[in-house]
Amino acid sequence: MSTSETMSEAPILSLTGIVKTFPGVRALDGVELEVLAGEVHCLLGQNGAGKSTLIKVLAGVHRPDAGSMVWRGEEVSFNSPLAATKAGISTIYQELDLVDELTVAENIFLGHEQAAGGFIRRGQMRAGAKAVLDRLGHGDIPATRKVGKLPAAAKQIVSMGRALSHDAQLLVMDEPSAVLAHDEVANLFRVIRDLTSRGIAVIYITHRLEEIREIGDRVTVLKDGRTSAVNLPARSTGTDQLVSRMTGRTIEYIFPARTERAEAPAGPPLLEVVDLSRAGEFVDVSLTVRAGEIVGIAGLVGSGRSELLETIYGARPAQSGEVRLDGRRLPPGRVPAAVRSGLGLAPEERKSQALILEDPIYRNITLATFAHHARGGITRASLEQTVAAEIADDLALQPRGVRRPVKTLSGGNQQKVVLGRWLLDPAVEPGSGAARRRASRGTRLLLLDEPTRGVDVGARADLYRVIRRLADEGMGVLMVSSEVPEVLGLADRVLVMREGRVLREAPAAELDEETVLDLVMAGSLLEVDSP
Amino acid sequence: MTEPVDVADHRPAGPGPADRGWSFSQWFRADASEPVRRNLGLVIVLIVLYAIGAWSRPDIFLHADRLWSNELTVLTLASSIGVVAIGMTFVIISGGIDLSVGALLALASVWSTTVATQSYGAATMVLAALLVGTIAGVVNGTLIAYGRMAPFIATLAMMVAARGLAQKISGKTTQVVSVHAITDIAQRKVLGLPLLVVIFGVVAVLAWVLLNRTTFGRRSAAIGGNGEAARLAGINVRRTQVLIYALSGLCCGIAAIMVTAQANSGSSDHGNLYELQAIAAVIIGGTALAGGRGTIVGSVLGVLVFTQITNLFIVNNLAIEYQLIAQGVIIVAAVLVQQFRVSSLRRGPA
Amino acid sequence: MTVRVTNRYSAGRRRLLTAVAVVAAGVVLTSCTSNTPKSSNSGSTSSSSSTGAAATGKKVRILFSGPVADHGFLAAINSFAKAEAAKYPDVDFKALEAAADAPSQIAAVQTAIAEKPDALIIFPQDGDQLTGVGKAATAAGIPVINLDRKFNDASAYRMFLAGDNYKVGFNAGTYIGQKLKGKPNSVIGEITGIATLALTKERSQGFKDALAIYGLKVSRQVNASFTVQSGQQAMANLLAAAPHLDAVFNHDDDQNIGSEAAAAQAGRKEFFIVGTACSNTMLKHIKAGDARIEADVTFTPAISATAVSMARLIAQGRSMPDLAGLPMPSNMLIDSELVTKDNVAQFEKFGWD
Repeated sequence: MSTSETMSEAPILSLTGIVKTFPGVRALDGVELEVLAGEVHCLLGQNGAGKSTLIKVLAGVHRPDAGSMVWRGEEVSFNSPLAATKAGISTIYQELDLVDELTVAENIFLGHEQAAGGFIRRGQMRAGAKAVLDRLGHGDIPATRKVGKLPAAAKQIVSMGRALSHDAQLLVMDEPSAVLAHDEVANLFRVIRDLTSRGIAVIYITHRLEEIREIGDRVTVLKDGRTSAVNLPARSTGTDQLVSRMTGRTIEYIFPARTERAEAPAGPPLLEVVDLSRAGEFVDVSLTVRAGEIVGIAGLVGSGRSELLETIYGARPAQSGEVRLDGRRLPPGRVPAAVRSGLGLAPEERKSQALILEDPIYRNITLATFAHHARGGITRASLEQTVAAEIADDLALQPRGVRRPVKTLSGGNQQKVVLGRWLLDPAVEPGSGAARRRASRGTRLLLLDEPTRGVDVGARADLYRVIRRLADEGMGVLMVSSEVPEVLGLADRVLVMREGRVLREAPAAELDEETVLDLVMAGSLLEVDSP
Repeated sequence: MTEPVDVADHRPAGPGPADRGWSFSQWFRADASEPVRRNLGLVIVLIVLYAIGAWSRPDIFLHADRLWSNELTVLTLASSIGVVAIGMTFVIISGGIDLSVGALLALASVWSTTVATQSYGAATMVLAALLVGTIAGVVNGTLIAYGRMAPFIATLAMMVAARGLAQKISGKTTQVVSVHAITDIAQRKVLGLPLLVVIFGVVAVLAWVLLNRTTFGRRSAAIGGNGEAARLAGINVRRTQVLIYALSGLCCGIAAIMVTAQANSGSSDHGNLYELQAIAAVIIGGTALAGGRGTIVGSVLGVLVFTQITNLFIVNNLAIEYQLIAQGVIIVAAVLVQQFRVSSLRRGPA
Repeated sequence: MTVRVTNRYSAGRRRLLTAVAVVAAGVVLTSCTSNTPKSSNSGSTSSSSSTGAAATGKKVRILFSGPVADHGFLAAINSFAKAEAAKYPDVDFKALEAAADAPSQIAAVQTAIAEKPDALIIFPQDGDQLTGVGKAATAAGIPVINLDRKFNDASAYRMFLAGDNYKVGFNAGTYIGQKLKGKPNSVIGEITGIATLALTKERSQGFKDALAIYGLKVSRQVNASFTVQSGQQAMANLLAAAPHLDAVFNHDDDQNIGSEAAAAQAGRKEFFIVGTACSNTMLKHIKAGDARIEADVTFTPAISATAVSMARLIAQGRSMPDLAGLPMPSNMLIDSELVTKDNVAQFEKFGWD
């Protein structure tokens, strides 16, 4: 079976004029989509552009109000996810719908267990699961292991295995790379190429433009519920063109200009980390952050970067070494003390670590400071709302209105809420125009762990501007990211981490993407100059 | 997905002098209609119960003075379990559970009615009950927060141990109270209301303020809403947990005094099955078992519904089995109504 | 930033207050657990030694198995048995570890069978579930005295010994009937124990039958659960339901502590109460006439003392002289007696707390 045969000219799926409305919003407004057998068709668009709704239409979760959907030459309309699966369309959502407590085999055959007379035939299921995993080139994943014990990348493979077990002809993947480290993404791509070579079509959704060029054949861009570009060639369409199709902006705007600063002032730096270690996580890490400076740590998941950040913050006790703020030592393993001293953290997992999703925006913004707004232990809701509203305006939070639940916000705006949490100055009454903390008091050092995870391109630029402005106002920022361009574009100074060690430290201007990537991945150690 | 929700912009019009201080009217205003709206299901259930009463026993439910005295009986019977349920509300809002409340009530009642304690007089008896409850609550909280035990396990152990200790101290006998100041608590009236009902009301109001207007209440809800987020925001989660379970224990101590006064005795059998009744009342009162949100008003209404059902069955001379069936049905019905309302809110205006 | 300064100050003060409170708590609490001034009871029980069967016979070993005594009545069962055994020099008595549930009691009795005692007294958690081990003991040649809750198979015991629950209700009904006869509109309330137990049903039936003789009936029945608190709640609701009452029969004296309190709280005095089982508290009230309780019917834990003396005679292969040469009976129901102010003195020895 050659590639030219499988990529026949007749599309396996074509959508025309798909419309889907929800109360108060037209989520899809005449969407076109054409997918060929054996291609990787990338779907691009900002959050809220309608990608999720479109996926759910394909998966049979939503029924479109208008438009036609032709699947393998026949007009279809799926009235349930089961119908879509049976027709050969499988969807792998970003939050994988795997059951952690079940084994790999049980997950793969979930809902269509191999059974005889009501008894599950474990042996047969194990063998079937093994066969599916082999097809994916991952016979190394043990079929009897509980899924909860697998790393994220392996879970992704299991999800794909489940889709294959349904004989899927079209695989819809919603941001599969978001939770994967760099080498795991490479492996994922290998598996996808293998599938497409057998004629299976893939709809691939991502925020990472460079991935589109690497894996994609054609690109369809969504903007505000409409298709703003159809079937662009993935390899030859320029990034600036893609971004402008999504946003109307060009890519230069993404990173704010660095502020030229005079030479480092005298006196101790704002944050000093000296020989900090935790067994199995990181070893003898030393670094400094000065007021007004953004320091970026480049490193993959597992390099010890998030653990380092949490240890500096006191969320994990250090085993040796110390953390000093303004020359004063912080007690290890005590978050409240760190917060009192002026540290703030925007953690990696926004939903599980940072936000109370059911609560209104303002209560999330004031989560760290409500006690300071209180008088004699009595909280002041209206004051909190006023202060939070100022912060929200300051950060251009969309939509306005701080009493709506934070879960109704997009990822980028949720991240702004988390940042805003650390900008409140309890000592300054609202209305004085200085609700935000000044550099000399309140939060003086922000720790940002993957600040733009799951945030779309337009909102990212917004966040970058906010972070840069905070630094300009005197805040110290220590940021961790697995996206090298982000670190290089935003930070003043960069530390590269791998396997729990800092391999290199240099001003961002002196580094380029290839050099850092080389260090971050198992690159040559010859260039290492220890800090 | 960011489906826009049709919510008006409630942001305050801007900073003004009102933000600098607070007044009582402003203080209560925001939430004035909130409890009624949230607990509509329970209010409806109560109305239905009264309607059944009016139909089956018009001689009681349609005569103002007899209805008044019957309802005072209901409120009095609800008072001790109500105080316990209020403490339980904080525990469940923080994402925990306290199975030891009934046993703590028994232990506190026994400890405060031994011959030795009674010899010190009423004030010491009250103090002993409050201290026993609070200290046992601190033990619960410490095991959970610092010993990292699951609340279910820690308080289950406390439930068994406290009941046993109560039996040990009392020698399994019923300790009759001879201090009149204590038994008077159950007989005295304040402004025409039984003192027990007044205590219940005062505890409920204080708890409402504590939950909705203090940093402690805010911390409790934050821990239940997302414990990790609360911790990473600098909230001292463990200390707050200890305080929450101490509060639940304190409520058991208060309820122990109330039961001791009502039953004229302390006994290791007091508060039997209170843990289940309190949890049931809190849950049908709309507090999420997973934590994060809940209301004092809902819990109070939940207790009243259960007490009113029992009363309704007894005044109609119906056997206990019907009561149990009805209670089960009401739990399911009230929770279904709540869920229906939540999901219809989530769907947005259609 | 006065906030922080205040916080630090109040933190120190809080610590001090906490320390003071903890010390105070310790002092108060440790001095409060003592129950020592309590009058000791149960040592004074005397069995009917006029039978002539008291003469010392061969040495016998008697084992006793009962449920965990989680309240006064059951606790008294254990202490009466022990006190009775102590009176016989020819009895070697041992109470087995109290059983929390039927399975653990089965296990305990099985172990006891292996010890080959001369007699075994079983107060079962559950008569049906313990029947099996009763049979096993009988098969092993050990005479079994089945106390209170009956095995479902007569071959599982040598003697079944119990208080007469029907007579409990019947005597109470008779007392109330005699006082209210000729007033057919009397409002009579009944506060039962746990509704599902056989003994509750028997007491209710006896009560109903006796009232019927006087043309009376139970107007309102409320279920309680043998606890003080349940008695209080039942009475409070009963009083709310009935604006006027003439008499109340309460199935348990512990319950009645609560019921009396509820009546006092409601300020109701128009009716009288007949209690059950003769606790010390209620006997005192009857003697003093200072409460609503006027009469009590016996259902005494001293039945366990009888069980010990019966087990002794059976184990020694003897009978009671008064049986005129016939063997010991296989079934024995101890009659219930009516206690009023007139005869209360003679029942005080059976009182319990």
